[in-house]
Amino acid sequence: MKAFQRGLLVAAIAALVSVVVRVRSKGPVPPSSGGGWRELQGPDFR
Amino acid sequence: MSTVLVVGLGEVGVRTARQLIDTPGIDRVIVASRRLEHARDVASALHDGAEPLQLGRDDPLPSGIDVIASALPSDVDPGLARRAVAAGVPYASSADRDATLGALLALDADARARGTRVVAGCGLAPGLADVLARHAVGALDSVDELHVARWGVAGAESAAEARRALREPAHEWRDGELVHEKHRHAELIWYPDPVGARECELVATGVELLVAANPGAGRITSRLGLPPNRRLVPPARRDPSAQWGAVRVEAWGWRGTARTSVVYGVIERTGVAAGTVLGVTGAWLAGALPTVASAPEPGAAGLGAVIEPVAFLAELARRGVKAAAFEGVAIA
Repeated sequence: MKAFQRGLLVAAIAALVSVVVRVRSKGPVPPSSGGGWRELQGPDFR
Repeated sequence: MSTVLVVGLGEVGVRTARQLIDTPGIDRVIVASRRLEHARDVASALHDGAEPLQLGRDDPLPSGIDVIASALPSDVDPGLARRAVAAGVPYASSADRDATLGALLALDADARARGTRVVAGCGLAPGLADVLARHAVGALDSVDELHVARWGVAGAESAAEARRALREPAHEWRDGELVHEKHRHAELIWYPDPVGARECELVATGVELLVAANPGAGRITSRLGLPPNRRLVPPARRDPSAQWGAVRVEAWGWRGTARTSVVYGVIERTGVAAGTVLGVTGAWLAGALPTVASAPEPGAAGLGAVIEPVAFLAELARRGVKAAAFEGVAIA
């Protein structure tokens, strides 16, 4: 019974840690392509 | 003398009124709300450049109105549009619910009979996105695919409408027919900074307007991303760029013998961008901006089908809503 309770405790802690790690790991996303944005200027409107 | 009635005084309507007041050729702007007190507050905030009016759902339209620019919620917008058509008054709307867009387009026969014009989808997307789509398609010899995405909302009503769009069935245009997509296929969409990469899902919003304005495209999709509700996010984890709105338009097709893509994007406060688009459309309908499109012909259509994209984008840029082109290699 004691081993079962310990197992439950370990599983609960592991679940908690995984949630924290998952939430905190949302960092910047790598770019999907090379290039950049250029504002449309006068010649683009002719 | 041109008089424009602005109805629906939320984030979009107030910006619409501001744009109209600043447009030479618009002599009178009336801001209408169900509550006179609210209309007075808005008129006062506009430094009394507008006149307040109380306008309930069943109140008669005031006389002497040349154009109605509506930023009303989607459920009440078609009712006012029908009254405008019956009175022969041109009508521009920023409503974005798919059923509302359909109801506005269904006024085509009545609008023709009355000799007036209804322009649907005059917000960010549908709206500015449709103008960018026309511009992108115009840069290609032929177009295969057109993908439009929007991120951001303009106030609580707009957020509720976006959540509704994400719950409703998603559709895309594929090989000549509207296909129901069971899965929303969430995809990371790259907007100009500071919005950056955002996850957006397939929706039905505005697809039919894009099809009507770009009949050559074999595949057309529309995506929508919604910022998290600020109240549900702890202050330390709030995203400072969540207050921005953005659209991205990606057209794939052929230029000569090469298959290539054209990608345009805009970031701006959602209410500012949508209000500017609605204001410019209202001013055009009133005859104050004749260069942004040819003279309005009777009928009902989406914004993308009626304007001249280059002139319209130039007018928006002059008012501070500036588009950008992506230069590089987009991922198909």
